[in-house]
Amino acid sequence: MERRDFFKKAAVVAGATALGSTTLKAGITQQPIDNRKVSLVAFPEKRPLIMYSDRPPLLETPRDVFTSVLTPNDQFFVRWHMPDIPTHINPDTFTISVNGLVEKELKISLHDLKTKFEQVEVTAVLQCGGNSRSAFKPIAGGIQWGSGAMGCATWKGVRLKDILDHAGLKKDAVWIGFNGSEKAAYYETPNFIRELELSELDDHVILAYQMNGEDLPYLNGYPLRLVLPGYYSDSWVKMLSNITVTNEYKKLFFMDVAYRVPDNNCECETHEKRAPKTKPIKKMNVKSVIGYPTRNSIITQKSHVVVRGVAWDDGHGIKDVMVSTDSGKTWEKALLDDGKLGRYAYRTFRYSFKPKVLGKTTIMTKAINKIGEVQPFAKDIKWNHGGYKYNGIDKVTVGVV
Amino acid sequence: MKKYMMITTLLSVLVFAQTKEKVEVPYVAFPIKMGKGFDVIQTNCLMCHSFGYITNQGRQSRKFWRGKVDKMIVHFKAPMDEAAAKASTDYLFEHYGNGKEE
Repeated sequence: MERRDFFKKAAVVAGATALGSTTLKAGITQQPIDNRKVSLVAFPEKRPLIMYSDRPPLLETPRDVFTSVLTPNDQFFVRWHMPDIPTHINPDTFTISVNGLVEKELKISLHDLKTKFEQVEVTAVLQCGGNSRSAFKPIAGGIQWGSGAMGCATWKGVRLKDILDHAGLKKDAVWIGFNGSEKAAYYETPNFIRELELSELDDHVILAYQMNGEDLPYLNGYPLRLVLPGYYSDSWVKMLSNITVTNEYKKLFFMDVAYRVPDNNCECETHEKRAPKTKPIKKMNVKSVIGYPTRNSIITQKSHVVVRGVAWDDGHGIKDVMVSTDSGKTWEKALLDDGKLGRYAYRTFRYSFKPKVLGKTTIMTKAINKIGEVQPFAKDIKWNHGGYKYNGIDKVTVGVV
Repeated sequence: MKKYMMITTLLSVLVFAQTKEKVEVPYVAFPIKMGKGFDVIQTNCLMCHSFGYITNQGRQSRKFWRGKVDKMIVHFKAPMDEAAAKASTDYLFEHYGNGKEE
């Protein structure tokens, strides 16, 4: 295969992300790195975001975006696995193929998707399994994300189930494989394919062509992506091109090697002693993130400050968000939004207080879901080698003047 | 099997993309340390990913970096021989290492 030419081209702008520094001692989970700057470079259809790589593109949403239920498309995080992403897809000729153990193989155009099936919408959080990875010590393998490898959008499309019903599943169908259009530099490199068991798929799983009322941005998977509410984003295949129904599980790198946590109760292990068995990361745990104030905010003593942020889980729903403004000594309930966008969406919260002490004030938030799962303190989160599923109590320290 | 639901519509739906032309993903130069073995890194790593992938992993042990190189060879099929694997590991550990062998 030919050497990819893009690396030979002159670079446009230098603007790499330097790793933020942390000073706490090793071995204890900390707050994720929170001092990265937004890049000077804007990617297609995006505002400048925090950038880790251009190929494949890895872009993080800055913290201050997380004050509203929906994350704007142009600030929505980006994460790809392969260097070669189609940069042009013709919506008039694009088709999604459905094959394998089906009665009728299908090739469905975008136009048919939009007109011949029931159109449905779901608002759901999309979060990278490695979001907040930089919290883990010793440093876990992978991109050292802060807390912005996530977003929430209203996805519009067609139920996967309706597509599969249209194709007609054969009796022995068990697995559904989803193939995206991103390509590796070498032909031998495994494609980005996910396999899901039929029993895992409910009516909320859709093939989405729209995000927050607009076409999906290219970097979020134009023209069609899988939406799996409640699951981490590694399963939400972008630029979906093919759906294959099978009766047995195929071994796949991105299912069997990457995106896995220890298969034990604490999903934990140590650097010295790795867990012998692992399992896919799958569903999200309960978490909240503060959008305002941020570490760069300056707030005035005795002024009315409203802390805002977002909380979510895997779809059980958020019951409460507790806020502390005294470094975790006392906690009070924040006000939650009406939750009308459903149980897979962010719940925004707000909490007003008057900063009394001049100098520094530390604000912390702790989400609790409807089955009683509580966001733990960072220090109580045990290590896993991939740095997945961090959900520590969020913490922002601001200056009070 | 659930009945497949067909919605017929009289409206003709025009399909057009929000981006009419090819999108251009910018090229970004990620600062990287120069030193022995850099040529091997340049030859082998850039085929699939930017230097950002290296510099944003954090400082890691020799074993970690060797593991990453092996992952690229075994799973991503990077055509690297043992000499190239060793030279890249040495380079990565020298410049992006944490001083620990394991």
